[in-house]
Amino acid sequence: MLLQIAEPGESKVKEACKPRVVGIDLGTTNSLVAHVADASPAVISGEGGPLVPSVVNYSLDGVIVVGRLAQARAIEAPRDTLASVKRLIGRGLKDLAAVRSLLPYDLGGDDRAVHITVAGGRKVSPVEVSAEVLKELKRRAESSLNGPIEGAVITVPAYFDDAQRQATRDAGRLAGLEVMRLLAEPTAAALAYGLDRGSTGTYAVYDLGGGTFDISILKLVDGVFEVKATGGDSALGGDDLDREIAKRMLPGLEKAPMKVIAAAIAEARRAKEALTTMSETVFAIVPAVSETYTVKKVITRGDLQTWAQPLLERTGKACRRVLKDAELEREQLDGVILVGGSTRSPVVREYVADLFGRTPLSDLDPEQVVALGAAVQADVLAGGRKDVTLLDVVPLSLGIELMGGVVEKLIHRNTTIPTGATQTFTTYADNQTGFDIHILQGERETADACRSLARFMLRGVPPMIAGMGRVEITFLIDADGLLKVMAKELSTGVEASIEVKPSYGLSDEEVEKMLIDSFEYAEEDLAKRNLAVERVEADRILAATRQAFVTDAALLDDEVRAAGEGAIAKLEAAVKGEDYLAIRHAIEGLDLATKPFAQKRMNRAIAAQFQGVALDDVARKVGA
Amino acid sequence: MASPSTSDAFSLLGLTPSYEIDSAALEKAYFERSKELHPDRYATAPANERVAALSKARALNDAYQTLKKPVPRAEYLLSRAGVTIGDNERLDPDLLMEFLEQREELAAARQAGRTAEVATLQAAMVKRRKAIIALLSGLFASEDLVNAKKQLIVLRYLDRYLEECEAALEE
Repeated sequence: MLLQIAEPGESKVKEACKPRVVGIDLGTTNSLVAHVADASPAVISGEGGPLVPSVVNYSLDGVIVVGRLAQARAIEAPRDTLASVKRLIGRGLKDLAAVRSLLPYDLGGDDRAVHITVAGGRKVSPVEVSAEVLKELKRRAESSLNGPIEGAVITVPAYFDDAQRQATRDAGRLAGLEVMRLLAEPTAAALAYGLDRGSTGTYAVYDLGGGTFDISILKLVDGVFEVKATGGDSALGGDDLDREIAKRMLPGLEKAPMKVIAAAIAEARRAKEALTTMSETVFAIVPAVSETYTVKKVITRGDLQTWAQPLLERTGKACRRVLKDAELEREQLDGVILVGGSTRSPVVREYVADLFGRTPLSDLDPEQVVALGAAVQADVLAGGRKDVTLLDVVPLSLGIELMGGVVEKLIHRNTTIPTGATQTFTTYADNQTGFDIHILQGERETADACRSLARFMLRGVPPMIAGMGRVEITFLIDADGLLKVMAKELSTGVEASIEVKPSYGLSDEEVEKMLIDSFEYAEEDLAKRNLAVERVEADRILAATRQAFVTDAALLDDEVRAAGEGAIAKLEAAVKGEDYLAIRHAIEGLDLATKPFAQKRMNRAIAAQFQGVALDDVARKVGA
Repeated sequence: MASPSTSDAFSLLGLTPSYEIDSAALEKAYFERSKELHPDRYATAPANERVAALSKARALNDAYQTLKKPVPRAEYLLSRAGVTIGDNERLDPDLLMEFLEQREELAAARQAGRTAEVATLQAAMVKRRKAIIALLSGLFASEDLVNAKKQLIVLRYLDRYLEECEAALEE
């Protein structure tokens, strides 16, 4: 069986009796949606391919644009164009101290949650922003599958804690999706790989995305996928490398205007991606963006390797720990699977090959494999597929706080779910009539170093001498990873329990209200939307053309330059007007005028790519 | 406790109670039963079936976790035979002294940030743990539960020590 990429509109007829359920990879950088048609999963493509950049632009008139069009606004309107919000979801300001200085947003909030102020003073939460991305994916899926989506499996980094998971679940709800399950990304990837090849054995999944890193070890036997151990870092990814490159190119960048930061990070990402196929590239910030921060420097793949090293070492540390948790030596693995856009980079591949002592597998598209696996799990949960059983684990230990702020773990990380644990504790003070039960998540020994999930009181205990009162605490986790905690005083039988729903700053009522509001404002003014969309597109093309005229001046002859500049002026005039059709025509005019120039650039890029590949092969031979 | 019931970990996995276990057979039995019992199978089933499947799956997972590794398996075998290990079990005085000294040594190394020393201490203890686990085999074979219990108490101290090593190395 082969995985295939379906074109929209394909195999609709056979879908009639199957539940319309999808798998969604809600990524830091890109998101996508997949669906199981005829037993094999396929990604759903839309305009610009299957990937939807996880970028949302808010404009003054209240129009929200998602994806490629929003991305195009990043340089022009950095404060209103939100990317990488996955790094913010379920996090408080304290958690973000390390990355905050280079986030070009107007960030506010407290230690539990953040919000971003965008155009017109509108405050949005990361949950709402993620919901916009999910809505876009839902729209795509509904138009491709010809009907409403009945359920979705959304993937999250395996190492996301409960606050991050709950926030993601709420984003799904806000987007009008029935979230059937949150599935760990590396597990989803293993599902897609395992089914594609009918593999048996023990595999490590190395998943380096835009903003998160996961490493999981799974055993695959005859349709059973057992997660043996998982670990990672929910704040480590390709984004960090972009910021590192930008800082190296422009020392003191933290103090620059947001527009410059946004441009530098975008250019760093472009340079990084260029180094996937080429051995060097030019990092340039043109004077049009900033006179003060103008720069033009060569970056080689060797530079990238040096700068990436500290980040890669952090992934290596997590990998070694997970191998230890699984009680395995690297030689006992049958393979290493690469997942996530960042693993496209040869620098990352070489590091992983070294770390595990073998060439990693990447024959399934590392950017699609997670969504494909999620679609399979959605099919399983909808009752479609019956030959797949997924045995997942809790990624982080769960426990309660004891006297003195020490944490007693009841359920250890990497325990297969569903599971449960019971432990008895005694009173520490005379005449204590209540027990404060503080539920924590994490590996550290003290409560303040772990994440607080919930807190409740067991009251009504008769006064007793210290040590006489005995409280039995039970933790129960279901297959969704949701935790229920019960407490019972044994001598009296007094009981209390709580369904742990970690708070991340938004209450149930607030999410409910947002949901209602979104229905009220759903009737958008189409003309207004069209105008916003065309303006965004125009801005993108204008910026790209201006940049290209500077960087590739050598490929530009006088005639084309004159025609191009004329077309630029026309488009600039059209953008100021209110007629979206006029803007669209001016865009087409600019495209036409610069076509010979674009053709030359394309030819050169193709030549460079082939050259890059050849160089690569040489390097490999020499290196070996 | 001693009589095998429906919640007995060995019978849940269809195995004869014993310290020596064929881990491949254990895993196979666990996977086979998981295919039948996993809650995902019942995602579209009526609520009562779902709840029943959930608690069965939980019992199965817990049984597998208990039997998979030698130390929990040994403790479980003791508890089946009515021998329990309390929270405040004491070591032999000589051993206790030895452990106290070793903990102090570790604490000093941890405080001073001497990571290499912590790693050496950890390695020594891991070796010792392996030796005790090998010893358990013989004790269970000769049904010497009294000495098996003694060794399991030593292992508790030892595991606490190893947890501390782990925490020290994470810092």
